[in-house]
Amino acid sequence: MKAFKFIAIVGLIATVGISCSTERATAVQNKAGVQLWGENCVRCHNTPSPASFNDADWSTIEMHMKVRANLTATESQKIFEFIRSAN
Amino acid sequence: MKKLLVLLAIIVSVGTTYGQEKSKESRFMVRGYGSASYISLDSADEHDSGSSFNMGTFAPIFLFKASDKLMFEAELEFEYEHGEFEIMLEYANLSYILNDYMTVRAGKFILPFGTFGERLHPSWINKLASMPLGFGHGAVSPSSGVGAEVRGAFDFKGSKINYALYATNGPKLKTDAHGAGMLEFGLTDDNNKNKAIGGRLGYLPFSDSSLELGFSFMNATVGDAHTDYEDTKANLFAYDLSYVKKINPLGGVIDIKAQYNQSTVDDRTYEIHDENDVPSDLVINDNKSTAYYAQLSYKPTMSNNDFIKNLEFVGRMSKVETPDASPETSDLESTTFGINYWLSWRSAIKVNYQLIDGIGGHGAVDDKVFTIQWVIGL
Repeated sequence: MKAFKFIAIVGLIATVGISCSTERATAVQNKAGVQLWGENCVRCHNTPSPASFNDADWSTIEMHMKVRANLTATESQKIFEFIRSAN
Repeated sequence: MKKLLVLLAIIVSVGTTYGQEKSKESRFMVRGYGSASYISLDSADEHDSGSSFNMGTFAPIFLFKASDKLMFEAELEFEYEHGEFEIMLEYANLSYILNDYMTVRAGKFILPFGTFGERLHPSWINKLASMPLGFGHGAVSPSSGVGAEVRGAFDFKGSKINYALYATNGPKLKTDAHGAGMLEFGLTDDNNKNKAIGGRLGYLPFSDSSLELGFSFMNATVGDAHTDYEDTKANLFAYDLSYVKKINPLGGVIDIKAQYNQSTVDDRTYEIHDENDVPSDLVINDNKSTAYYAQLSYKPTMSNNDFIKNLEFVGRMSKVETPDASPETSDLESTTFGINYWLSWRSAIKVNYQLIDGIGGHGAVDDKVFTIQWVIGL
């Protein structure tokens, strides 16, 4: 169990080191809403079509999902701007 | 007392801020999900074997967006099973978005202990008809709690971090002949002055959010006040993992989910009474319970055939283990295979075959369960 914990901690530190960089941060900031929509919904359930709800309902769902799925403010804003624009 | 003061400060702060804000938008929605199923059980105990249609569950969710920052949400669950009709309040809480990085919630909420309970348990999201062993109501996993919570998420140099920290009334220690040493979750009343403190930290290292690693904890005093058990403490923790990725060479999306829960309760001697009310001592030392599951699913989303594109193949292993001395002792393993056909993005027909074996509360278990379930997200 100690060996497992050691490997897990080292692995996590290595993952943090590899995944964090200024270039990646800029790439994430420049992501479009459609890309974030494709990446985030599917983490728990199938991705809904923008036509599944009207704009007013999407506004309520946006707040619900931001809290429930712990989306960042930027993700939430971009995803639901895309959905409303495509609806 | 300090915890209460912090909680009070948060509530006053939210109330004051909200009082200064004009409502820009107000929306009310009723959504939810429901299911119906057919189950065939082949059990080692012939009395349990048989097959039946189940009316399943209906869970309406009420969402009220009072403003751009304030929301109320509640979920009821109607269930008719084994001739009994039940209505349960899954959660009912207020959320207030303090800023881009922090939201405060108060009321009854699903606890962020791992991810299965909070994100994956609804039948239209859960990829199999059953829950993993130990992850249902009243099992090794904390379900819901009444209290207050702060949560949020933020980018961190190309990766993402999310967090939740809460104080709730906490679980209660069972001391009766049927459940001595086990914990009861989801209670609305507090059985002592102590508040449970818990939280979850999630880390998404990759910029496409495909991988999430999480650690959760909960610490509480769980014994009833003014009893011999009032100082009994419980410590719980969980690790969770999620990896969802479209793999072009495989022609579809793979989804890996896993969670490990552990609960430890202080050593205690319980005075229990049998059916003739004769008392005896039950010593439960090393009171550790564990539950885990690992699940893999594959959906051939890139197929040119519409029928195949809507299929999903799922496999899950789960295990629950409670102390040998406990009246509810169990050491059960389950393997489940499933094929889902998605009628829409939120409606599916699931066909499952589950094998459960080990030691349950009433002896040896060797069950084979065949289930057909129709689920719909509303």
